[in-house]
Amino acid sequence: MTRPAKETPSTDIQVAICGSAGEGTIAAGDILRSALAEAGYRIISFDTYPPEIRGFGKCIARLRVTTEQAYSLKQQSDVLIALNDEHAIPHIGEVRDFGAVIYDGHSIAKLPEGGHVSGHLRAGQLPYPVSLRELCEKATGGNRSRNIVALGFLAGVYQLPKDAFLRIITKKFGKKPGVAEQNQAAFETGYTVGEAAFRLDDVVFGAPKRDAATRDVVMINGNAATVRGAVDAGIDCFFGYPITPATSIMERLASEMPKHGKRLLQTEDEISAIAATIGAGYTGARAATATSGPGLSLMQEMLGLGVIAEVPSVVFVSQRGGPSTGMPTKTEQSDLSAAVHGGHGDAQKIVIAPTNVEGCYRCGGKAFEMAEAYQTPVVVLLDLYLSNRYETVQFGARPPFEANCSKPRAKAAPGEPYRRFALTEDFVSPRALPGEPGAMHTITGLEHNELGRPNDQGDMHERMSKKRHEKLKAALKHPDFTHCKRFGDEGRIKVGMLAWGSTFGECLEAMFKARAEGIPCAAMKVVMLSPFPVEPVSAFMDDCDVVLVPEVNYEGQFARLIQGELGRPVVSLARVPGVPLPVDEILETIRRLAASGPRDAARLVRAA
Amino acid sequence: MAAVGKHHVIIGGGISGSQAADTLRTLDPDSRITLITLSRLPVYNRYDLPQVFRGRQDWRDFLVQPPEYYRRSRISLRRATRVANVDATRRIITLAHNEELRYDTLLVASGGRGYLPEELAEFLPLLDSFTSFEDAVTVRRRLPEGGHVIMIGGDMIGLDLARTMVETGHRVTLVAGPQTFWPHRLEAGERKQFLAVLAKMGMQVVESEAHGNIETIEPGAKGMPARRIVFGDNTDLRADSIMAFCGLVPSVEFMLGSGVDIERGLLVSRSLRTTNEAIYAAGDVCQIWDQDEKRYRFYYGWKNVRAMGELAARNIVGGDEPWSSNQDESLRVQENGSLYSPFWEYA
Repeated sequence: MTRPAKETPSTDIQVAICGSAGEGTIAAGDILRSALAEAGYRIISFDTYPPEIRGFGKCIARLRVTTEQAYSLKQQSDVLIALNDEHAIPHIGEVRDFGAVIYDGHSIAKLPEGGHVSGHLRAGQLPYPVSLRELCEKATGGNRSRNIVALGFLAGVYQLPKDAFLRIITKKFGKKPGVAEQNQAAFETGYTVGEAAFRLDDVVFGAPKRDAATRDVVMINGNAATVRGAVDAGIDCFFGYPITPATSIMERLASEMPKHGKRLLQTEDEISAIAATIGAGYTGARAATATSGPGLSLMQEMLGLGVIAEVPSVVFVSQRGGPSTGMPTKTEQSDLSAAVHGGHGDAQKIVIAPTNVEGCYRCGGKAFEMAEAYQTPVVVLLDLYLSNRYETVQFGARPPFEANCSKPRAKAAPGEPYRRFALTEDFVSPRALPGEPGAMHTITGLEHNELGRPNDQGDMHERMSKKRHEKLKAALKHPDFTHCKRFGDEGRIKVGMLAWGSTFGECLEAMFKARAEGIPCAAMKVVMLSPFPVEPVSAFMDDCDVVLVPEVNYEGQFARLIQGELGRPVVSLARVPGVPLPVDEILETIRRLAASGPRDAARLVRAA
Repeated sequence: MAAVGKHHVIIGGGISGSQAADTLRTLDPDSRITLITLSRLPVYNRYDLPQVFRGRQDWRDFLVQPPEYYRRSRISLRRATRVANVDATRRIITLAHNEELRYDTLLVASGGRGYLPEELAEFLPLLDSFTSFEDAVTVRRRLPEGGHVIMIGGDMIGLDLARTMVETGHRVTLVAGPQTFWPHRLEAGERKQFLAVLAKMGMQVVESEAHGNIETIEPGAKGMPARRIVFGDNTDLRADSIMAFCGLVPSVEFMLGSGVDIERGLLVSRSLRTTNEAIYAAGDVCQIWDQDEKRYRFYYGWKNVRAMGELAARNIVGGDEPWSSNQDESLRVQENGSLYSPFWEYA
């Protein structure tokens, strides 16, 4: 008789590290996620930090460590590492009962009553006071590696793979002589103390799964995945102007593109960046820019040129709290209307929005295919949560992108002029690049005829407007691209969710919980926002007693887009907390809607 | 806006402190109550710790109150917190992590720690402790099934553990000394009789003095049990664990500069008030004036310390009731031939 294999407990642990800017909070989170990813766990992580550079605001690194696929961060953390009392105290409440709080057991400064983390723990939370500063000074002669001591303690307490941490520390600090050694010593010290600590919490890290799904995984964030997608799709030139949270796209491309013989230019502003992108696109290059909401506003006029001149170009927009400078380091999904409807004239363009980091890679590459295939600007809508969110992603052996999607120019009869804007059956005109023999043509921001020559006759404007809109419909069937997808229960359901962008992960988690409670529930992610996938969305809505649309903006921009496209009611859950929508809030809304029944749901819809 | 009441601070998360907090909450509903404890756990019953040998190893099973009780009762529980000193003049407590707490009334119920005779102090690293839940579980995990434990001294806390260990299949050797039946006061001849009873209960009893007292304690050689005791007459004992139970020393270090009178414990009147009007003491940390014996004395046992906590709370909020103990302190042999101490009784 064979003995049954010992069951490995599945892991679903969220760790939060909270400190002040400059205390190494984000660095500690980075090491932790990299080490655990290397060990074979799946990771989702997201850092929040202040707009100031150093020494002021609060930084929090949160990461969810799992053995199975997860889709969002959890509402509550299992472990909190407090590197700074003042900043960590408001977050003590997010640690679940029987979870752990690791903090510095000593303070140099006199603290008033309530000034220390230990005074704020609920009776169900388990304290782990550690002499972080003292241990750090003993190990390194200074106190700059308190964060690494704390990380070592965490690893020691939960018996996490020490070697993986030491390798990551070496990799991270290897270029600075002495620093890697100091941090290794700090980690070892913390690990030894943690190993000896008596565990009272019920936090369990099961062994990571070493299967096909976790082999060759890469720990990568949304912006980096977008860059990888762009590079794999053969981006030729990039023009950009830095702005949070899109800057790292340009930074990463600046190091990647020269390796491939490609060009990147930091322009003087966003208007210049989009103008250069459209110019490069016109020449046949795969060209892109990246910005955030304020930059998108500046680019709108030039995007109109891209639409009317039918120039392939890609704009990556990572959204943040707005309007104006708004909340540069907080996430939001409030540029949807600007991306879909922004600008003047009837300037429809393609707008796509990935829902996770892997999606950033696909959209980052597919955007170039679509721009070329449908000869139009393509906006890829990211947001700060997605841009900065790390996930473990497994990339395929070969990039899933086509190198050339242009509709080739048919051989013209001798003497026949090249009609750059020919009205064709699929509304896409054969494209010639500037300088091609026999393909001389006019290109302008003015309305034009098929040859590109200015023409402001009404009927021509009608035909060209139709052409520019109709050609985009084919994007809804763009090969090897998921424009929307349903998850959860099939058939008739009580509550359906329509979600876009980063919020979809939270919706999916809420849906799983609702289904576990017996609520028939489904969720559809909508990746293509313009042109809108009317048919599948409408079919999904047919199955739902009520449709909930959670999103991180105040106006309910996606809910309005759906209502505008389909004329059907939805319940909008639109909030602007500066952080991802809490899963529990979405779940509570699902429960409320499920309990209300179709008739009451209709009343709720009206109230919403 | 709700009136802000007095801030009652209690140092010590044992039965005495926790009973005081509960009583204070009932009698003074508008007050602020802070309960400071060294323990990382909410208040639990230390008298119950031998039960870890009966399979109870989840700390939640030992709690006096569930975690949500503290929120519901508005008792701020400060765990893993050491008091550095008390400034009785300014009514400020400084915690070891450098935080200051202001109080209106203070109850010191910090209990006591295990007393270790001076001649054994150098062997402390080789002794297993049994004063906290963590200690108890560590010892339990370290001991092999049927493992051998040497218990130096005994006392009624140690003997309670010893009888549980014997009942759960462990081998216990008691190295008897002057504190073996602490805090009972024995009549002449009783000691020998009670040691014989312990032997009948399954413990191996070794009189320390008869072997020239303990000479040294050392780690066991490779392949041998983890510890070895060598006596003055060169005889030795080997075991998997050695523990010492020799009575208690009051934990009063943080009160040394406070101006409150201290003998061995904090000296308190019969109403449990110290020599400072805002500071009371209860439990194993205090010595109460005994009019009959004309001396300050300690009162031990779960019933006593619990009653002291309750009385101190009543007096803190304006009462003036005197202390009286109804704890039976007689050690006796039961009909079944086993030893019985009333100090082993707890709710």
